[in-house]
Amino acid sequence: MTTKVNDVRAVLVRGARAEAVEEGSAAIEAEHVLLALTGLSGTTTARLLAEAGLTHETTRAALDREWEQSLAVAGVAVTIAELPKATPDRARSPQIGETTKLLLKRAMATATAAGGGRIGAAHLLVGALDSKLGRIPRALDLAGVDREALRAQAHQAAIRRDH
Amino acid sequence: MQEDDPGAGLAAAVALRRLADRIEDSQVEQAMRAGWSWSDVAEVLGITRQAVHKKHAKRLIAAGVALRRR
Repeated sequence: MTTKVNDVRAVLVRGARAEAVEEGSAAIEAEHVLLALTGLSGTTTARLLAEAGLTHETTRAALDREWEQSLAVAGVAVTIAELPKATPDRARSPQIGETTKLLLKRAMATATAAGGGRIGAAHLLVGALDSKLGRIPRALDLAGVDREALRAQAHQAAIRRDH
Repeated sequence: MQEDDPGAGLAAAVALRRLADRIEDSQVEQAMRAGWSWSDVAEVLGITRQAVHKKHAKRLIAAGVALRRR
């Protein structure tokens, strides 16, 4: 069961895809992978995230805050929660976005550096935290998360193959 | 806009695109639920009827919106 949950393809295809569809996003972006990781209940990866204050709900809220703050930079004052939502098309298959490709590349580099083996959820989390650019670091900074510390913990878990 | 922080400016561009997409999706749905034609929606958006149909028809059918003929 755990191995199945930790299978990268399962995280991407089930979790991240569902997050992207629900949001009406044209692509599966890195933030959808991160949201999927927070939802892997009973896993080390989700526990590390939760201990850093990142549950599915708080991560979603942090991403919305990042959205609001970036809009404010352009002089647009919007409360995301008050925006009308479109009905999501649950039959649609969003493509893998560029931010997810980068995340996967970084996750694979981490796995290779640690001696290879199958990529798991902890590798994906390292991949998600490996950049200072983009929506994830901006949202996590707004949420007051110590990205470096969380990355180090995820890296240790990945080395132990404890996903 | 702060000229000394291109990172924030680039993030603002991404945020605006996301906002435009979100508003387009919800408002096309609202217009079609209110009985608008594809042509009228396309005219307001400044794109062809085919383009708006291609982008939104499947989703709206899945959402159970009764669509007018193209």
